[in-house]
Amino acid sequence: MQSLRNQLLAVCSAAALLAVTACGDSTSGPAKVDTTGLTSASCPGINLGPKPAALTLSQPTPLTMQVLGAGSETARYTAEIAVRGQVAYTTTWSFRSAPGNKINIWDVSGNTPTLIDSVIVSGATTLGDVAVSDDGGLLVVATERTGGSIVIYDLADPKHPKLLSRFTNAETDPGVHTAEIGRVNGKLYGFLSIDPIGSAVLARLVIVDLSTPSAPREVFSKVTGNPFVHDTFLRDGLLFVALWDNGMEIWDVGGCGTGASPAAPRVLGGVKTINGEVHNIWWYHDASGSKRFAFVGEEGAGTIGTSSRGDIHVVDISDPTAPKEVAFYRVAGAGTHNFSVDETNGVLYAAYYNGGVRAIDVRGDLGTCPTNQQVVEASTNLARCDLRLMGRELGVGLVDLNRGVYVWGVQYLNGMVYASDMVNGIWKLQAAK
Amino acid sequence: MAQAIPVVTRADPTATRTALTEGYVTQPLVMAHASWMWLRGISTLNFEGLTLDRGELTTGGYGEGYVDRRHPHAYVHELLTGAESSAGGFRASLFAGRGFAPFGSDDPMVRPFEKYPVNHHLSQVLERVVAVGALRYGPVIGELGTFNGDEPTGPGASPSFDRFGDSWATRLTVLPLSGAELSASFASVTSPEVRAGHGLDQRKGSVVARYNRETESTLRYAMLEWARTDERDSGVLTTRLSTLLGEAAVCARGVVLGGRLERTDRPEEERLADPFRTPRPSSDLANLGVSRWTTLTASLAAPRVARGFVSGRPFVEVARIGVAPGTPAGIFDPELRYGTRRLWMYSAGVRLRAGSMHDRMGRYGAAVPEMTMSGMGTHAAKSESDMMPPMADMPSTRNAAMPHHSSAGTCSL
Repeated sequence: MQSLRNQLLAVCSAAALLAVTACGDSTSGPAKVDTTGLTSASCPGINLGPKPAALTLSQPTPLTMQVLGAGSETARYTAEIAVRGQVAYTTTWSFRSAPGNKINIWDVSGNTPTLIDSVIVSGATTLGDVAVSDDGGLLVVATERTGGSIVIYDLADPKHPKLLSRFTNAETDPGVHTAEIGRVNGKLYGFLSIDPIGSAVLARLVIVDLSTPSAPREVFSKVTGNPFVHDTFLRDGLLFVALWDNGMEIWDVGGCGTGASPAAPRVLGGVKTINGEVHNIWWYHDASGSKRFAFVGEEGAGTIGTSSRGDIHVVDISDPTAPKEVAFYRVAGAGTHNFSVDETNGVLYAAYYNGGVRAIDVRGDLGTCPTNQQVVEASTNLARCDLRLMGRELGVGLVDLNRGVYVWGVQYLNGMVYASDMVNGIWKLQAAK
Repeated sequence: MAQAIPVVTRADPTATRTALTEGYVTQPLVMAHASWMWLRGISTLNFEGLTLDRGELTTGGYGEGYVDRRHPHAYVHELLTGAESSAGGFRASLFAGRGFAPFGSDDPMVRPFEKYPVNHHLSQVLERVVAVGALRYGPVIGELGTFNGDEPTGPGASPSFDRFGDSWATRLTVLPLSGAELSASFASVTSPEVRAGHGLDQRKGSVVARYNRETESTLRYAMLEWARTDERDSGVLTTRLSTLLGEAAVCARGVVLGGRLERTDRPEEERLADPFRTPRPSSDLANLGVSRWTTLTASLAAPRVARGFVSGRPFVEVARIGVAPGTPAGIFDPELRYGTRRLWMYSAGVRLRAGSMHDRMGRYGAAVPEMTMSGMGTHAAKSESDMMPPMADMPSTRNAAMPHHSSAGTCSL
């Protein structure tokens, strides 16, 4: 009787597994879900949550993400995007028929983004990053090349930003490549990645106290990056820093509870991902509470408007003092740029320049896979899971158009995906899931 | 030897989408060679950092943070010491210091045109800390050199000594006929545009055919050059830049007539508020595309006027320039940048010189082919071996301190 019950259980389990697999959905694999949290002596204030469950996925054919509408910008090249509520902000870059000194404000309540206002940033020739504060009160824009600055706007009327202040000093020269904003222990800060120039001025990271946005104040500066520092990602008092060929570092800026702060960060650890060229990072908190993985964008060489290269690297930070690369995602003939993650549904949306927008299923354990889903990197002999072979490529957007795109940034919000396209403007797409 | 060229140039249009006319003193330099026994010394000091810090209007030109202007060269253009000797039919040399890698063609400075071609950064590798060995046997010359890959970041910037040895180049030259030479070269250059390293690497190839024959009163010069630079990211080809250039000059009764036609690819980069400048280093490894430049230049130089040891040769140059999207074009659009695809450049000036110009720049010691003049100038007409720098074991009647100078003839450039 016991044997018959075991056989029935086995048959039922196998049938369930086959059924779910055939539907292209997921089911739990052989690994058990670790429901215990994870803290470390080096960072007792951060609980990285349970180890995510291993999933077995089918190999779906990526769906084509439906384009709902587009807003055109052809006088300038479009750069980064930030969306909040029904309003999207896009910056402009370099020189087309006009300089990249304009912020476009779009009404995205309908399917087709509609330009409702714009702001010219005085004294600027190229803008890069744009971000909205978590309370929706501030818009922060980085300027590059002409001394470098961040320009802060009041969003009391989100459709018509009003200039509040501008922060520039010797440390922001020659330009602010990106400016991320976020709170540490309730206080708002800006994290500025500064370009190098010549032989004497090296790349560096500058941290600015924005708690009084009319009077920003520098609290920290450090030469870092090799040769660039391109971006940062702040969450829960940890700052993830993209250091190009020096890889990714994790800095404690107050999250670990060991005395570090934005004015006195402490380097927890780092990893040199394969190929280096680390441009951007997203520390992923999944729906189960697991916080074990960070996504790292590699920005390889390319020709704007035509080609790009660079993978998404998945880094396991279970030991934040010794993160390790465990998986990757590659698109042949295209390279990634900025990310946005729908953490509720476990979908990473990646801007992929000439490769449009890619949606990747990032649920579960990304670092465990059978050998036939692994690729061994010849130069390091490191075996990594290939997210494509794992069946995690969910959707592709903006590649089926009759015109080329070059997608700089992407943002997921409320079932929609917004993409900034350097050559065309802004797109609104249906999310992949 | 000292040189300076006061010149006025009109570029119509240029990067501003308007015509610009400017004047400056270009190529101000002092050259000196020294020799004692088998030891050699070579120096070329260039003072463009003082006279044209903003760069010289050169439509299509680019490099070292300048675009549509030629950048000023380093104050220390060349400063090398070396040894040279021969035995058993072989002639060998070893030079070290700051100078040219054994790659490509001669510096445009010693060629018949005032304006540099667009391909300067595809066809020469210069102002590096180099160690170059050369070996000649009969009509065959082999060179091998190692150097630092980084380009100068300014006229007064010192080379990155700690990068010495990260790049290398080799060149093979054959001298089939008197005055004629064929060469092929290859260079591997690490991160030339990012001094700290980790930029794009370059693999460069070049094939050059050159003919030069000069007498007291005539000059026949021609060069045909093909070169290619592959930019690579982690070993993967990202951009391929090619150039094909032909130039020739003839001289009779002291009047020098020259013509040059080149087609060269240029990588387009983001520009600063000054449309003639690009960020150096750039903030990433992308470019805006490739442009293709087709430039036809005509040059006419009047007979040299000498007063004492100083001479002046007035000249005019006219260039008709076409620019088109290259491969890949990226987002580069010549109409947006220049307002047109057809441009002109006019120049007039005077080459002022005191002393004799080195006739070659970019080769050292045993790698310098013999002169082809006969019976004139600072060189006596001698056998091939006598055209070489004198060596401890090879006595020469020639002035040992000035081994490779142009003549003071009426057709000397």
